[in-house]
Amino acid sequence: MREISYRDALREALREEMLRDPTVFLLGEDIGRYWGGAFKVTKGLAEEFGDERVRDTPISESAIVGAAVGAAITGMRPVAEIMFGDLTTLAMDQIANQAAKIRYMFGGQTKVPLVIRTPFGGGVNIAAHHSQCLEAWFMHVPGLQVAVPSTPYDAKGLLKTAIRNDNPVIFCEHKLLYPITGPVPEEEYTLPFGEADIKREGSDVTIVATLYMVHKALNATEKLEEEGISAEVVDPRTLVPLDKETIINSVKKTGRVVIVSEDCKTAGVSAEIAAVIAEEALDYLDAPIKRVANPDVPIPFSPPLENFVIPDENRIIEAVKQVVY
Amino acid sequence: MAVKIVMPRLSLTMKTGSVVRWYKGEGDKVEKGEPIVEVLTEKVTYDIEAPESGILRKIYAKEGDEVPVNGLLAIITKPDEPLPEIEVEKEKPKVGVKKRVLASPAAKRLAREHGIDLTQIVGTGPEGRIIEADVRRYIEEKLKYKPKVREVIPLTGIKKVSAERVARSTREAPHCTLCMEVDMTQTARLKETLDVSYTDIIVKAVAHALKEHRILNSTLEGDKIKVFEEINIGVATATPQGLVVPVVKNADKKSLSEISAEIKALAKKAREGKLEQNDVLGGTFTVTNLGMYGVEFFTPIINPPEAAILGVGKIVQKPVVEENEVKVKPMMMLSLSFDHRIVDGAPAAQFLARIKEILENPSVLSG
Amino acid sequence: MNPPREKLVEMYRKMLEIRQFEEKVYELYGQNLVPGTIHLYAGQEAVAVGVCANLRREDYIVSTHRGHGHCIAKGADLKRVMAEILGKKTGYCKGKGGSMHIADFSIGILGATGVVGAGIPIAVGAGLSIKLRGTDQVVACFFGDGASNQGTFHEGINMAAIWRLPVLFVCENNLYAMGTRQSRVMLIENIAERASAYGIPGVTVDGNDVLAVYEAAEKAVERAKRGEGPTLIECKTYRHKGHSRMDPATYRPKEEVEFWLKKDPIPRFRNKLSEMNVLSEEELREIETEVSRKIEEAVKFALESPYPEPEEALKDVYA
Repeated sequence: MREISYRDALREALREEMLRDPTVFLLGEDIGRYWGGAFKVTKGLAEEFGDERVRDTPISESAIVGAAVGAAITGMRPVAEIMFGDLTTLAMDQIANQAAKIRYMFGGQTKVPLVIRTPFGGGVNIAAHHSQCLEAWFMHVPGLQVAVPSTPYDAKGLLKTAIRNDNPVIFCEHKLLYPITGPVPEEEYTLPFGEADIKREGSDVTIVATLYMVHKALNATEKLEEEGISAEVVDPRTLVPLDKETIINSVKKTGRVVIVSEDCKTAGVSAEIAAVIAEEALDYLDAPIKRVANPDVPIPFSPPLENFVIPDENRIIEAVKQVVY
Repeated sequence: MAVKIVMPRLSLTMKTGSVVRWYKGEGDKVEKGEPIVEVLTEKVTYDIEAPESGILRKIYAKEGDEVPVNGLLAIITKPDEPLPEIEVEKEKPKVGVKKRVLASPAAKRLAREHGIDLTQIVGTGPEGRIIEADVRRYIEEKLKYKPKVREVIPLTGIKKVSAERVARSTREAPHCTLCMEVDMTQTARLKETLDVSYTDIIVKAVAHALKEHRILNSTLEGDKIKVFEEINIGVATATPQGLVVPVVKNADKKSLSEISAEIKALAKKAREGKLEQNDVLGGTFTVTNLGMYGVEFFTPIINPPEAAILGVGKIVQKPVVEENEVKVKPMMMLSLSFDHRIVDGAPAAQFLARIKEILENPSVLSG
Repeated sequence: MNPPREKLVEMYRKMLEIRQFEEKVYELYGQNLVPGTIHLYAGQEAVAVGVCANLRREDYIVSTHRGHGHCIAKGADLKRVMAEILGKKTGYCKGKGGSMHIADFSIGILGATGVVGAGIPIAVGAGLSIKLRGTDQVVACFFGDGASNQGTFHEGINMAAIWRLPVLFVCENNLYAMGTRQSRVMLIENIAERASAYGIPGVTVDGNDVLAVYEAAEKAVERAKRGEGPTLIECKTYRHKGHSRMDPATYRPKEEVEFWLKKDPIPRFRNKLSEMNVLSEEELREIETEVSRKIEEAVKFALESPYPEPEEALKDVYA
């Protein structure tokens, strides 16, 4: 099977959906022909679909998302790009109060089929305002769905589904994932929301991980295998809806679980998953649930500081050893 | 002046009694001497009477409760008297309070599913936590195959008391059992003549033999063997509630007819559940007859704190050699279990031999 | 330039409907039949009616927390609006929205929002959608003097301007944002001046003269349809009552209130219609009776409707 990058996989998804459905259009800062997107995801699309349909916007995050909402409730399927996930804060009212609640508040009269694509994550030394992982905030807003693809295959399949989805989707990408390559079929395919993927099967411990942490977890499992510990890696792929069943079945099998997410530990993604496991699979735990996440600090700039904050393979290995005995 | 009703000590060995039935309720008027509550102790029920007239002010033990001797059951006060402050002695915490066991949820679940007590398992997890693997190992080692339970019968009342007594007897008294076969021809004739039962005759024979072998009519207290003056023979009797042993007091001084009548009366009372304290206490020796069930010989368990017990088997027509000829005789096995701390095999054998002698020639018993 | 007779009659009828509807809601609130609070439109009827008289069914409006007037002017069913305000399951939003969130997507009412200024970017999105689909629809976005200080006002108008979107930005300047007078939070007097900052035309009109509003809106709609982009129309008007039902509005000087009550848009228009011989006294009274009846019907419907089932709260979160 051919191998393409996460970035190229996303672009393919956008392109295929725009060809398939004329109501799909893109808007965002610097996504058009002059820059092709801050992370080059939309490169070439303005040339193919025109500047109207791949639209550069002023720096107005609130209006970008608001315009996406207005377009979505009048028959279009916009895909808005917010350049860095940290900047979704500027559009929070439009995301959480408008996009998320319009369907419910108006008694189901309309739907809001929009996608907000944005990159999260650190590891590139650009500090506190450009390195956060904020998926947990969006998990907490009823009405939003949240996708967190970790591979090119997952990214393409989930983005196509996100665009066809009639609900507002926060599509969380990761800066460090853009260049990584992976197998992606030539034929068209989509991936459903609410279906986790077991990236690696194992029997001694379950590691639940998202986005870039999936790769760190997979690296950790190789070292663990040498030490005789067989780890299973479960990638939720979407946080809302969350595939509780796959996670719980894995925990039932292994009896031990380590949850890895690249956000602040308090009330982070791993906190919610831990609560679900404790509530629904307590009797199968042979050890306490362990979470590996950032300490509760903003992301610092200098490399030794950032490396200390963001979880690495060693912290994952250490956590696994604390529960496998 | 308020009067306390407490659980009475009805026998030397009694530790607890249980409340069976309240005849009066809180607030009722009671007369001095009127029975107010029925308690069960040592397999016998007993009515506690009001020591004073007044109002049954408050009940502290409900039906079914087990109360230690001297434990507070109720208070009677004069009609206009206030209820005094009672310091109800808090039940002392049971020795060996269930310790909090450190175990993982998965281990607890597995233990629960298999009915395993976690305190029996050693944990190998951090801080000695029991983990699933520990429970699994325990199951494999200890519990190979557990048969399915069909019915659960709780041990209560008379059965519970019996269970405790036989366990104690076996634990404390080293049992040895001697068996002898007895020709019952003559006894059978006596039975016909006097219209008494085999058991009646055996009781009299035993009482007689005990007069000559007093050591078997004793009890061991600490490091002293106390030989009794009275010969009180208990007759083990099966009732629907369980095994009871009504006692024929001074059996050596009673005639066969008297013994027979008394045993009949006691048996009736036993069947009707009306045995009193007096009927079952004070025994010094026990006779137990399983012959009517077809048992030939057995190893009876001594009725504590007695010295010995005689088991009676069934009478079987058997070929026996007498004067070099084979004759058919009614033969019966006697099984004597004795407390080997009190008496050795030889004196026990002599005692048993004397009983055999009497039964094979019972003329000494009439009168 | 003057609208045709049927339109004039319709405008008068609609203004009456709004006024009487709001008065009824005020009354019902006093009887404890309305949960929460209400923000009444009474006094500002000329703005909603003047603008909406220029819109067709397929045109869009975006409304605010003070939105009963906008929705009624756009053609909303009085019964369903009243039922929604009372929280009944027959309301437009099945009782899930309430007074501040009326919507009827079948006639282009894209909803009233409870966040000040949040409707502006949404109106821009609707305008963008029209442009991408290539239809000749327009969007009227209503908001107040207070919203003109929100970031969304500036972002939204700028975006609509640069993309030449067919949007009417209608600012209802009733001098007060809740209890805060306009002069305490901005140095300029005419909000329409801000239009030039974004390169679009801005006009200030007497918001209590329905014909003046109509004319300004007509021009803006034509400009929009020609593809020239948005217009900012500032309508000077006044709330008859406080900000919300609980507000006695003691921060407004008595003389000011009296001044504006004298400029009540409904009697003004009634007189105009008489003068212009559009409607006789008898016809006017007929309309007034008819409107009363319609309001009564709406109230009856709402009062007799059941509340939604509690489990309804769990539905309509996702499509």
